[in-house]
Amino acid sequence: MRAPRDRSMLAWQLALGAAMLAAWEGGVRAGVFDKFFFSRPSDIASRVAQLFAAGTIWVHLATTLIEAILSFLIGVTLGVAAGFLLARRRFLADLFDPYLRVANSLPRVVLAPIFLLWFGLGIWSKVALGVTVVFFIVFFNTFQGVREVDPVILNNARMLGASEKQLIRHVLIPSALTWIFSSLHISIGFAIIAVVVGEYLGAAKGIGYMISQAEGVFDTTGVFAGMTILAVVVLAVGSLVGNLERRLLRWKPAHSNTREGVS
Amino acid sequence: MPSDIAVRLSGVSKSFPGYTAVSAISLDVPAGKFLSVVGPSGCGKTTLLNMAAGLMPPSEGSIEIFGAPLSGINRRAGYMFQQDSLLPWKTVRDNITLGLQFRGIAPNESAEQAENWIRRVGLDHFSHHYPHQLSGGMRKRVAMAQTWIVDPDIVFMDEPFAALDVHTRLRMETEILNLWAETSKTVMFVTHDLEEAIALSDEVAVLSAGPASRIIGVYPVDLSRPRNLIDIKTDPRFLDLYRTIWTDLKQEVLKSYARTS
Repeated sequence: MRAPRDRSMLAWQLALGAAMLAAWEGGVRAGVFDKFFFSRPSDIASRVAQLFAAGTIWVHLATTLIEAILSFLIGVTLGVAAGFLLARRRFLADLFDPYLRVANSLPRVVLAPIFLLWFGLGIWSKVALGVTVVFFIVFFNTFQGVREVDPVILNNARMLGASEKQLIRHVLIPSALTWIFSSLHISIGFAIIAVVVGEYLGAAKGIGYMISQAEGVFDTTGVFAGMTILAVVVLAVGSLVGNLERRLLRWKPAHSNTREGVS
Repeated sequence: MPSDIAVRLSGVSKSFPGYTAVSAISLDVPAGKFLSVVGPSGCGKTTLLNMAAGLMPPSEGSIEIFGAPLSGINRRAGYMFQQDSLLPWKTVRDNITLGLQFRGIAPNESAEQAENWIRRVGLDHFSHHYPHQLSGGMRKRVAMAQTWIVDPDIVFMDEPFAALDVHTRLRMETEILNLWAETSKTVMFVTHDLEEAIALSDEVAVLSAGPASRIIGVYPVDLSRPRNLIDIKTDPRFLDLYRTIWTDLKQEVLKSYARTS
């Protein structure tokens, strides 16, 4: 996910993007693709610009971001806390194991209707959906991270006189951070997906709502504009997490800085 | 009651599911002495050390530290591990002062001691480096300072230099001897290298081949100190001792070969 250091590679990547956009634009103009279903990059770009210029986008963007951030924060807090607790208390881990598996095997989207009933059309039904997604990713990674602490490092700290509290702060948390961060990359993206799905299914504000409104009137350009804005937001948030990670994990050898795809 | 025996193992055994690592070990480590435990690989040397350090309880028998029964972590001991044991997320300086930090000493109070130790182990220019940026020898020096800075009465060392090249190892051994000579610490040193054991120690305890290893003998090493580790290996007395102990150790090494092949 890091920016390639190689400048010529960046040029190639930009060229590929430009070529794809040009093919899309040209294809629609030449009548190869149907404009009704595929819109055009130039139309989408001007729609995005228009949304920002008119200012109508802000309330939707803010709603979606607030929902995503809330579900992210709540999900991470609960996930890290539960991960630590269960990793340190074998009895609890064994006790909860089957139930966590069952809960995690449930496709989260099916929870959206029930959350809508419970929490209404406002932001909390979306936050609840986001939390269920974020929680499990962070929980499993934290659990694993705490369990996989190098026993030699743990013993060394104990011999140097660390109390249980100091062990958690100086050994377990930093050691689990690698795992937690790899889960943050994934979970921030999933948090946004979850709240957008929630908005799509029933809301009065948010990017998901905007997209579903556009879809309702067969406004393909509007749907693509919503998608574009979402993609940029997810990338921006992801790079923020990446920066934070690089700062907090600067003790790591550069080549193993990211461990992704664990969930 | 003060005792001149730093570590006393009485009839200590340790069993794991399916096998017994060490069996009925009785061994005294006199206070202020440097005692090495040698034995073929897999004979439970590390298990012995971990029990004396309080990291695992013995299955049978008892352990006394300066006359007091040991329960939980041995608070009077430091431990240099065979594997890398530094905290990878802490700089050299923070690793060295870790024990002080755990004792609630504020960083500004431990600063002088930290400087002192960083200089002593020759890492002046590396105090803000992270362990992965250091060589194996440098990491061992950090571990040494980390263990020594809290001034434990006993230091356990589990083949701390096994992973180092011969020359670095010789330097580290010399540094350990110098450090030890300046203090009155008790050292219990585990190695499979008999030359290293004799060169460093006051006493060498030989363990039999595992499983269920026991102590075969404890040999006093009467070489004078300070010792020159470069020349000592050709000293006639050293060679005598080596031959004597090796005669016993050899049987065990051969047994251990036979069992593992």
